[in-house]
Amino acid sequence: MTDQQWNNLLAIIRGETLDARPSGFVIDCPWLPNWYGVNILDYFSNDEIWLEANLKAIREFPDTLFLPGFWSEFGMCTEPSAFGARCSFPANEFPHAHKVIHSAEEIDSLEVPNPATDGLLPLVLNRLRLAEPKIKAAGHEIRFAVARGPLNIASYLMGSTEFLMAMMMTPDRAHRLMRVITDFLNAWIDLQMKTFPTIDGIFLLDDIIGFIGDTEFRTFGLPYFKELYDKDVSVKFLHNDAPCRVSAPYLPEIGVNLFNMGFEVNLNELKEVTGNRVTMLGNIPPRDVLASATPDEVEQATRALVESLDDPSRVIFSCGGGMPPGVSSENVQAFLRGLK
Amino acid sequence: MSELMDKICLCIERGKVDKKAPYPPDMMNQDGADEYAREAIKAGESPDNILAACNTAMERIGDKFSRNEVFVPELLMAARAMNGVMEHLKPFFQAGNIKTKGTFVLGTVAGDLHDIGKNLVSMVVEGNGWKVVDLGVDVKTDKFLKAIEEHPGCAVGLSALLTTTMANMAATVKRIKELHADTVVIVGGAPLSHKAAKEMGADGYAANPQETVRILNSLVG
Repeated sequence: MTDQQWNNLLAIIRGETLDARPSGFVIDCPWLPNWYGVNILDYFSNDEIWLEANLKAIREFPDTLFLPGFWSEFGMCTEPSAFGARCSFPANEFPHAHKVIHSAEEIDSLEVPNPATDGLLPLVLNRLRLAEPKIKAAGHEIRFAVARGPLNIASYLMGSTEFLMAMMMTPDRAHRLMRVITDFLNAWIDLQMKTFPTIDGIFLLDDIIGFIGDTEFRTFGLPYFKELYDKDVSVKFLHNDAPCRVSAPYLPEIGVNLFNMGFEVNLNELKEVTGNRVTMLGNIPPRDVLASATPDEVEQATRALVESLDDPSRVIFSCGGGMPPGVSSENVQAFLRGLK
Repeated sequence: MSELMDKICLCIERGKVDKKAPYPPDMMNQDGADEYAREAIKAGESPDNILAACNTAMERIGDKFSRNEVFVPELLMAARAMNGVMEHLKPFFQAGNIKTKGTFVLGTVAGDLHDIGKNLVSMVVEGNGWKVVDLGVDVKTDKFLKAIEEHPGCAVGLSALLTTTMANMAATVKRIKELHADTVVIVGGAPLSHKAAKEMGADGYAANPQETVRILNSLVG
């Protein structure tokens, strides 16, 4: 993000109204490689291609906020790799990490990885470090420390079903797993912030929040998320495009001030349950509309979203969740037209 | 329903697997579905009645899930308790004393390792009297095709959580329909919708396990 964009983001979060309706999208590997016209493996393995794809996005849509902006990642493998997960990179498909923990007992021997040396994390940081001069030359800065959230990582390390069952059957071990992952994430976020002093935001992505009820969220989610967001940064950004009615009321308590949700929840409802203290990034349907509909339909859906809002403050218009694969430039432009 | 059947039903609905299970906390140290199922069989209770109790319990918890009164962990625990009962019923299935409604081949599509939705569907469908062939996660098209050939007349369920694996799902549906046009294919998962299911040529879209059961049961009248 440029300084101007960052200042606009901070103003929106403060509740100020800008001259133009703001737009923003979470962009990463599901959208960028295909949109840029390269295969996925090239995007991950060639730093120049990764950088050029990101630069093209900011040049083609200069008035849109891209979050987190120049996201250095290896899909779902990024954090699990530090724990020793086997990572599969099928040709031109999205990578995935395999389980590391095969029984609740194995949690006892899990160690906190070192983000400076373990898995793909040094590559993530070094890619950004090498690209930083060109990012700055384009007028942008690295603004966010980024990581998958602790529940999400736990489900990758153990398997979603096994982790959710562990919450119920072996809660002490589930807490230990959350402790190890949270310690790791704290170190990982701190390392990113130390490496790039321009970072003034934290971005966590965690869909597993959406699968648990209030008791489990308060027990296994809330304390760990509060700890992770308890850092001196201006923007505390959370993505969860799974159901969010249980967790949304807790967002202010966690410290989150920017939230990217799924498309099935009404923004007015979300603003109400959060006391309009959290800026919403959303939420036209990503696949059925933004990716698959005609430009006219995208424009209409965007206008409908704008008109549906009781209070347009603290809203950045986007799709629900991140930019999905297959969204054309024409449809992004139609979305932007719908905001005018 | 007899008192024992009521107890089995309650244990499944509350996710009380067996006596040593710590969940739910308010049923600590009480007998669970496992003990009551053993007791029911010993008392000569009909396996069909025990299966009916499973169905009732899973319908109840499934309905609560649909109404957002319980969430995935509670549903998983209920399914696990039901699985404990099904273990006791296995010999009756194998001896042909209980008839299944049909076979449901199920898996999470290639490139997707998410198993929550698939496991929930598997457990609820099985509790409703279907034989479930669970192919696991990251299932390639060929594996689905092989399972269809091994289980003639089966219905097939494809699960995906990632937006990015929907393309793999569509390719699998297409191939199944090319080779086995009459095979009923149901798709489900977070990125799906009725529209997406229709576009990829699936016969049905299930937003939750109960809908899968409803679609499957409609096939057998």
